[in-house]
Amino acid sequence: MSDLTLSPPARRALVLRHPSVLVFLAILALFTLGVTLLSEGMGAGVISTSFIKTLGKTLCFCLVALAMDLVWGYCGILSLGHMAFFGLGGYAIGMWLMYERTRQIVADSLAAAELPPTAQEISDGIASQIFGVVGASEFPPIWSLAHSLPLQLAAVVVVPGLLALVFGWLAFRSRVTGVYLSILTQAMTLALSLYLFQNDSGLRGNNGLSGLQNLPGLDHVPQAWVSLWFFWASALALGAGYLFCAWLVSGKFSSVVRAIRDDEARVRFLGYPVEAFKLVVFTLTAILAGIAGALYYPQAGIINPAEVAPIASIYLAVWVAIGGRGRLYGAVIGAAFVSLLSTWFTGGQAPDLVLGPLRIQWVDWWTVLLGLSFVAVTLFAPKGIGGLVDLIGRIKNPDRHGADLGPDAGALREREADQ
Amino acid sequence: MTTLLEVSGVSVSFDGFRAINNLSFQIAEGELRAVIGPNGAGKTTFMDIVTGKTRPDEGRVTFGEKSVSLLSLSESRIAQLGVGRKFQRPTVFEDQSVADNLMMALKKDRNPFAVLLFRPRSADLDRVAELAGEIGLSGALYRKAGELSHGQKQWLEIGMLLAQEPRLLLVDEPAAGMTLAEREHTTDLLKEAARTRAVVVVEHDMEFVRRLDCKVTVLHEGSVLAEGSLDHVTGNEDVIEVYLGR
Repeated sequence: MSDLTLSPPARRALVLRHPSVLVFLAILALFTLGVTLLSEGMGAGVISTSFIKTLGKTLCFCLVALAMDLVWGYCGILSLGHMAFFGLGGYAIGMWLMYERTRQIVADSLAAAELPPTAQEISDGIASQIFGVVGASEFPPIWSLAHSLPLQLAAVVVVPGLLALVFGWLAFRSRVTGVYLSILTQAMTLALSLYLFQNDSGLRGNNGLSGLQNLPGLDHVPQAWVSLWFFWASALALGAGYLFCAWLVSGKFSSVVRAIRDDEARVRFLGYPVEAFKLVVFTLTAILAGIAGALYYPQAGIINPAEVAPIASIYLAVWVAIGGRGRLYGAVIGAAFVSLLSTWFTGGQAPDLVLGPLRIQWVDWWTVLLGLSFVAVTLFAPKGIGGLVDLIGRIKNPDRHGADLGPDAGALREREADQ
Repeated sequence: MTTLLEVSGVSVSFDGFRAINNLSFQIAEGELRAVIGPNGAGKTTFMDIVTGKTRPDEGRVTFGEKSVSLLSLSESRIAQLGVGRKFQRPTVFEDQSVADNLMMALKKDRNPFAVLLFRPRSADLDRVAELAGEIGLSGALYRKAGELSHGQKQWLEIGMLLAQEPRLLLVDEPAAGMTLAEREHTTDLLKEAARTRAVVVVEHDMEFVRRLDCKVTVLHEGSVLAEGSLDHVTGNEDVIEVYLGR
């Protein structure tokens, strides 16, 4: 909605200029509170621990969808590789979780021996525990930082950010745009996933990293509580991420980024370095995706290269398209709605649909339904679910963008009528 | 007057077709110049070369008192140096308001991080309002650019160019598709702009060029055919032959 006052927008707080931010944060807070009160950890037990985990994972999907909306809906870069950054964030935190927990188990078992174990013995013990499954017994070089939580947390941000920076720099500098760029991002995702599938990638090949739901040193804490902690952390990250994105798209930066989406050649002639802007957006959103992944995988408990497969990034684009791109809450609605629906359909709870001789089992047919709704949204409702908000807004308060309300020059203007 | 833009010996071919052939052209600081020529004379390619969209095969293009070569610079760097360009079709950002369009064009730091931290001051808002007044769009400041009429979009684009405060303005067929009254307003805008900067107008319409009342360069087959006042060039034998056919 256009700003109808002449006062400098900077003098008003972000949330006042964009009331949807406040509404979103309020809904998120209420949702978090409600789920917490009904959770098993709080004793009510209405919502099971596994469903708390599902909801927490959904919030992480919402966060990565926000990133996708920034890069696609606002900047016009249809990246089909953001789930790779999500996966990298998961691997980064997973390495520490797995290392630290194995170290404690190994140290406990060796402590029973008559001679105190040497550091080398402990290290060998951890390595054979973790890498025995791929036939190795030594730490690959990329695990050299896995002993340190702060360093692995830094890797959650640095690794996806650096990959996006290098990839983006190469791609944008060569002015690869449109569908070619999408294909390139798919190729990157595929290459990464194929690399991770190899046993000698150092990340346990197709076994991936597992047992991530167990926090090292907190074995005595029931999963009911751990799941709540992660749920809260995910909600907090989503809230902060939403505020950050809203700030990013509130000023001239958003104007320039949307202008790049609509006509990047014209933006160049205005003097803006288009490639630098794209690189900033691409890298920032990759970092956001990495953070979302680092919160997601401890709740999922396991990460393997299949999670980084190209199809995951395509699903991400589908969520954002169905929710409504180019608006932040649209991405969140799309990710939450579609991923929860997907959980329901593929969980086997949905009743089969009997159409004469045909028996539709949703576990198999859900992807077909999803594909059809994607096509339908693209053709008939390009604004997605978020477009419904416009519909309600227009009935209540038609936006004439400051045009005359009456036929003659002396007629009431919209801005006057508004006051 | 000092030379602002100097194009010398520039040639460019596309798949063997020589669009620009050993073209030399100079424009002084604060000069208003019309460039005319039949279709395919290389008018738009000339603009593409100056603004960095097309790289010439040979020749030199220098700009400003320090004679900076434009050939190795990106489009955005050239624009930052002070070359503004208006396209034939009005290209404004239709999804955004007139005020947003103008604000984006205002001469400010173009670095992404500077843009991210930029918040408009009241001086900037005043400047936007003032520009909107000049182009006759004060009442439409908060309308989306996509809702404007064709002529209004052309003016908005001229307004955006003025906001950029370029030292050289390249304007491609500004009067195409305009009504008579709109053309007059456009002429006034361009003449006003030429008071403080150099303006090059590419145009087909002789009436419009006559109203600009300035030096005229005739391009033909990628090089300069004649140069001088409109009466001078229209009296030139070669020009008559090119325009009226042989």
